[in-house]
Amino acid sequence: MSDQSGKHDEHIHPLARPFLWLDANWLKSSMLWVLLVLAVGAAAIDFVHHRHEYVHLAEMTGFYALFGFGSFVLAVMVGWFVIRGFLGRDEDYWDGEGDQ
Amino acid sequence: MIEAFYDVSPAWPVIIGGLIAAAVPNHYVRKGLALIAPVLAGLLWFNVPSGEHTGGIIELGGFTLETFRYDGLSRIWGLIFIIAAFINALYGLHSKDRVGDASGLIYAGAGLGAVFSGDLLSLFFFWELTAISSVFLIWGSKTNESYKAGLRYLAIHVLSGVMLLAGAVIHAADTGSWAFDSSLSVETLGGMLIFLAFGIKCAFPFMHNWLQDAYPKATVTGAVVLSAFTTKLAVYALARGYAGTDMLIWIGAIMTAFPVFFAVVENDLRKVLSYSLNNQLGFMVVGIGVGTELAINGAAAHAFVHIIYKALLFMSMGAVLYRVGTVKASELGGLFKTMPATALFCIIGAASISAFPLFSGFVAKAMTLAAVAHEHHYVVWFILLFASAGVLEHSGIKIPYFAFFAHDKGHRVREAPVNMLMAMGIAALMCVYLGWPDMFGIPGGYRALYNLTPFPEVANEYPMWTFDHVVGQMQLLLAALFAFAFLVRMKWYPDEKRSINVDFDWVYRRALDGAARWGFAMFGRLWASIGNVVAAGRNRMGGRLFQAFSPMGALSRDIPSGLLAIWTSALLAIVLLIAYLAP
Repeated sequence: MSDQSGKHDEHIHPLARPFLWLDANWLKSSMLWVLLVLAVGAAAIDFVHHRHEYVHLAEMTGFYALFGFGSFVLAVMVGWFVIRGFLGRDEDYWDGEGDQ
Repeated sequence: MIEAFYDVSPAWPVIIGGLIAAAVPNHYVRKGLALIAPVLAGLLWFNVPSGEHTGGIIELGGFTLETFRYDGLSRIWGLIFIIAAFINALYGLHSKDRVGDASGLIYAGAGLGAVFSGDLLSLFFFWELTAISSVFLIWGSKTNESYKAGLRYLAIHVLSGVMLLAGAVIHAADTGSWAFDSSLSVETLGGMLIFLAFGIKCAFPFMHNWLQDAYPKATVTGAVVLSAFTTKLAVYALARGYAGTDMLIWIGAIMTAFPVFFAVVENDLRKVLSYSLNNQLGFMVVGIGVGTELAINGAAAHAFVHIIYKALLFMSMGAVLYRVGTVKASELGGLFKTMPATALFCIIGAASISAFPLFSGFVAKAMTLAAVAHEHHYVVWFILLFASAGVLEHSGIKIPYFAFFAHDKGHRVREAPVNMLMAMGIAALMCVYLGWPDMFGIPGGYRALYNLTPFPEVANEYPMWTFDHVVGQMQLLLAALFAFAFLVRMKWYPDEKRSINVDFDWVYRRALDGAARWGFAMFGRLWASIGNVVAAGRNRMGGRLFQAFSPMGALSRDIPSGLLAIWTSALLAIVLLIAYLAP
């Protein structure tokens, strides 16, 4: 059985060894803040640069950042509560189909 | 340039290669054919003189079949189909499957044949050939589920072909022309039938479930092959016949949005990719509906890059399925440790489909969005923007994250076979090359893509690499990425669990199937009841006849001759009386 970090796991691919940090807990816990900084930093460009867009509403400061965040959350919530909530079935739902 | 081959459609070497492969038992010969046939097709494609060209005319039964129409639209679709056929062949080199080899080639050749068809009859022939040849890629999995899914797939696609033929006949009767061109219209019966036939193959809403039903059940190689041709052929057919048809704008917009919700909670990652495919088709359909030169360029460029990155994603999941034995997200995780190259290629495919700058999806999708905004379809523009964030969720994050990262499930498998890695590597390189900007005075790879579009002058005038465009896209994607990390941290992201979600196919797989079974059962009972009544009546009648005429029956009883004489006399008297009284 492999160890958790994989450092001593002989089955780890040699090309993957330099990248085992991708599985580290510190990265997982800090990824939220890294992405927050990147997202806010990208959105902040709007304060110093006026974008020219075909759709005027998109010229609003932070439009794409807000729309991207909102769309993602909407997609996940609708998928979770509406699709899985109402249309979710057990994995064997279609078993025996056509043989009944 | 060899003039003798000017009129030979690139479809023929691929189809003939497939027919030979079906007869050849030697694995290496078949694989050689699978690689050489697309190369020959490519040579024929390059051999055609520049400009528009019509050839391959066949006179048959009073009809003129035009098998090789080469113009701006068929040129780009033909080339990407040839490239896809080659990459698919390389990806499937390890597979010893004679039926799969043959059907894969014939299917690709049929797709090419349809793209280069200049008339509706040729189109019908190749349209049906794509359906019949491709079903073996689903049945190749040799499971009960794949067999049933294949039957459903075949039934739906043959129906599409029948509608195409019926529409073509009506259209020809109305107009006197079998030409496959922009003369088609949804305002005529024939035109509408053909439109619906294309819609089935293009997986329009409520006609889409064959895709999510069949593709995840196909073989490892089969799903890759399927992802390239069928639906993109339908997109081509719509672009050829129905560009500028308004209803396509809304149909496409719906196609971009609704699969996002299903993909979010789907556990089977090849099914996630199938929903994602549906979503991507929506962008192309919107572009065709808008119908301007920029929009058609957007649809064509999107189809070109989409075939590559979607194949790349299916290839990476195929490699996972091949090694691990499953592509259920709930069973995967941590595979980057043992399949790092596959993980890298998958991430490149994910970045491309998510339209990150420097990847191919970015330069293609932008034209469609710009064309939609130019034509003032603002609501549709917002839907497409929402769908862009949705693409990032299911194909950009979910696929690579849950397969290769997330929680390490301890699968210690080998890296994908070399031929798979080579195929994925070529596709990944193309994803990067086609998204590459002009730099240091050197034209970027995206110029090659734009030069292939039906209206290259318009494409090259489009201001693709502007600061505003890059910044806006990065703002959208980074905020969406942050949303993912945020939802996961807050535990507001749904767990991957072993479950399925019913879709519109419930209507025909459960409701209509149940109604049909109930109808058959009721008819069986009714038939049995009728049979019982008839049998009872027959028995009753038989009994009475028996009682009357059998040796033991009433009419066989001995009757005294005196009594008979009395009755005879009485009857004679009655007859005489009637004769006397009669006027």
